[in-house]
Amino acid sequence: MQDGVVIAKVDEFLNWGRKNSLWPMTFGLACCAIEMMATGASKYDLERFGCGAFMATPRRADLMIVAGTVTLKMAERIKVLYDQMPAPKYVISMGSCSNKGGPYWQYGYHVLKGVDEVVPVDVYVPGCPPRPEALIEGFLTLQKKIANEGLLRDKWVKNA
Amino acid sequence: MHEEWAALLSDRVPDCEAKVVFGKAGDKSIFVASPSLHRVCTLLFSHEDFDFHVLQLITGHDYLASEETKDTPAQRARIEVSYLLTSFRKNHDLILKVELPRENPTLDSVCDLWASANFQERECFDMVGVRFENHPDLRRILCPDDWEGYPLRRDYEVQKSWHGMEVEPEHKMNLPEREFEKRQKEMAAKHGV
Repeated sequence: MQDGVVIAKVDEFLNWGRKNSLWPMTFGLACCAIEMMATGASKYDLERFGCGAFMATPRRADLMIVAGTVTLKMAERIKVLYDQMPAPKYVISMGSCSNKGGPYWQYGYHVLKGVDEVVPVDVYVPGCPPRPEALIEGFLTLQKKIANEGLLRDKWVKNA
Repeated sequence: MHEEWAALLSDRVPDCEAKVVFGKAGDKSIFVASPSLHRVCTLLFSHEDFDFHVLQLITGHDYLASEETKDTPAQRARIEVSYLLTSFRKNHDLILKVELPRENPTLDSVCDLWASANFQERECFDMVGVRFENHPDLRRILCPDDWEGYPLRRDYEVQKSWHGMEVEPEHKMNLPEREFEKRQKEMAAKHGV
């Protein structure tokens, strides 16, 4: 680093930047949102992983944490919010409800049976609700996933 | 106390048919005839002996007649609407109940007496399907506006899809689990348990 020169692959450089500045959307649906807030607060401190900047608009966010029960009425709004996010965008499904309906999976007439019915999900975090450690694990898993992506390669190199 | 209240109600509102009902467990309640509900509530709200100035909740219950107990009066098919009224000044409360038919249940709204009745009646309409007349804004409160059916009815069957979303996708449901009781009986008959 003496002359201030770093050599890296462009893809890896971009991935490094993106994975360490995941901006989640301020968006909570149920009790999982309380755990999400606890994860963002000082004790667990999401800012350590670069994903503590909760954005108040989907247009500035690139990560959506679906934290809580997705009712059918809300599922439409989630779809709209997801469409408003700029690509590349990622979704963490947090908790049993958004994974597969949770306690409402059998007789819940008003609950969508998993948020992956309406938006593509990258990481599922199980738990009811998941502890902050579990959500952090989900973030780290997503960061690993992003680190292995090749946006430029996929775009410009044929048969990559 | 309930007997005196029922006597006073019958005195002031002659067609209300007030009768006190003792639950097997829980509190006493007073049944009144459904057409007289608004007059009864006006009396309960304004009379100084009652002074019920707080309406805590309105709930609807759906009762289906079962095959065995169809003829007994306690088990006929009906919808009951309960009003939990409270007076903090007199320190007493009352469960007022009304019985309605299961087909086209209609009641008079009490929104003009208690403002808290607005959302409660909307919920009762949303879940059990009781139509409140003279309600200022009778819409569904929890379910989507174009939802079909009333979810807390005993014979409710959920619709297949809503706005293109499947309500019960088969690959995610454990549908045989719903026949658990049936299977349990079959197993009991098979193994003689």
